[in-house]
Amino acid sequence: MKTAGKLPTINYQRSTNRRFVWRIVDFAVAGIFIYAGALKAFDPVQFANDIDNYKMLPWPVSVALAFYLPWLEIFCALGLVFRFLYRGALLILSASIVVFTLATIAAKLRGLDITCGCFGHASQNWSFPAHLVTNLAILAGLLALSFKATSGNRLQMRSNFS
Amino acid sequence: MKSSLVGQAVILAALALLPAAGEAIYFRDKISWRSAIAPSEMVTVEKAREWGDTAIWVDARPEDDFANNHVPSAISLNEDRWNELLPQFLAVWSPGKKTVVYCSSLSCNASREVAHRLRKEAQLSDVFVLEGGWEAWLKKKR
Amino acid sequence: MIMCLGARAKLKWEQTSVELHPAATDKQAVGHFKYQNTGTTPVHFKSVHASCGCTTAQSQKEEVPPGEKGEITATFNIGDRTGTQVKTVTVETDEATNQKTVLTLKAEIPQQLEITPNFVFWKQGDKPDTKTINVKVGKDFTVKHQKVTSSTPDFEAKVEEAGKGEFKIDVKPQDTSKVVASMLTIQPEDSQKVFYATARITNAPQVQ
Repeated sequence: MKTAGKLPTINYQRSTNRRFVWRIVDFAVAGIFIYAGALKAFDPVQFANDIDNYKMLPWPVSVALAFYLPWLEIFCALGLVFRFLYRGALLILSASIVVFTLATIAAKLRGLDITCGCFGHASQNWSFPAHLVTNLAILAGLLALSFKATSGNRLQMRSNFS
Repeated sequence: MKSSLVGQAVILAALALLPAAGEAIYFRDKISWRSAIAPSEMVTVEKAREWGDTAIWVDARPEDDFANNHVPSAISLNEDRWNELLPQFLAVWSPGKKTVVYCSSLSCNASREVAHRLRKEAQLSDVFVLEGGWEAWLKKKR
Repeated sequence: MIMCLGARAKLKWEQTSVELHPAATDKQAVGHFKYQNTGTTPVHFKSVHASCGCTTAQSQKEEVPPGEKGEITATFNIGDRTGTQVKTVTVETDEATNQKTVLTLKAEIPQQLEITPNFVFWKQGDKPDTKTINVKVGKDFTVKHQKVTSSTPDFEAKVEEAGKGEFKIDVKPQDTSKVVASMLTIQPEDSQKVFYATARITNAPQVQ
């Protein structure tokens, strides 16, 4: 049975503060992906060479990904900002960070001098630990948002049925 | 009814294809789908031959390979003896000439590196890398 | 992931990427790639192949018994190359997994002077205007003064300090009526190394 009338003021304030904090996390994560995506979208030629440096994919595939991945990042990031196709955006961004991190680790183990990461050639002077830590921090943010989105849905379903 | 998680991901993936395709069309002259050199910087054997006397052929391979055989009238210019060989190339170059640099095959890097140095250091325009290199030249000769 | 059990050969590399910093006067840069056979059967090298003719690579031995160590030596002939050079050596073995290993040699070749452009030209009949060659001193070097001389009197060359490790060389032809060329010799003070640029009057392009 739904409770009629307003929520108590203190709970409402806490709930608003929490929503505000999660929105900050949304914007922070989205901001990183929009920045990273824009950097790579501006110079797809360099990004294709950076992907090719991993020596995992044929050149034409590197070119296709160089054109496509930045826009996928940007659209998913906008999804976080405007809460449009939100969970799908979280899924894609989380998957891309995981794949990127595994590829960076694999390249390091193979001894390849990989100077690009999430931020394309702009992160070329970063060390391997710096890349790893950054990727893991972004992944942590995405997982937290995913958890919030999932638990938020469960609460909504419970209140619908109560 | 809200779309499923996978459904949302598929929609986003499809939406991103549009600007990606647009960008691929916009950058089509700057990137080749076949190799890592821009199409505007590569030339096929047939096209280079059509240039006739306006083309200067540059052999970027090691001197032993050059001495063994090379494109007729080609000039040797490699990074091993760059400072010594560059002046003799510059002596035959003039504005309006197209420089065609080759090494052994599509996969070797020497021609790309020599072409890059001619563009960057000597600031020459119309410098091209021969697609397929010496191997391609030999195939077309037959 | 299913782990393979049983006897296997396995080469473990100490590092597969080596960064070298040769001196400006070095002719070669040598990288050593050490390995050990951590498996239970011998490893045989099928081929050791460098990405370019400028690099030679040798294995100390053709067969590596279990537990034994060794190294592949890659020698990169610098020649007249400058800047960052990346060369690879592909090693093929008869291991059951990971038969190909790519060893990377990255050499940072210091450049005392960066001369751009190193070629200035005028077409026959052009106005004999002054053209400028920019000289930038490499970050690990200090050059206070330079001397520039032309190999022929057809060109005049004057050097000016532009500050912050940069110089400008103004080159002017006496006239552009004849096809002539000159080698400009650029000698930094207190340096034995000499650099060159070329100045030329070229044929005018033929009108077709």
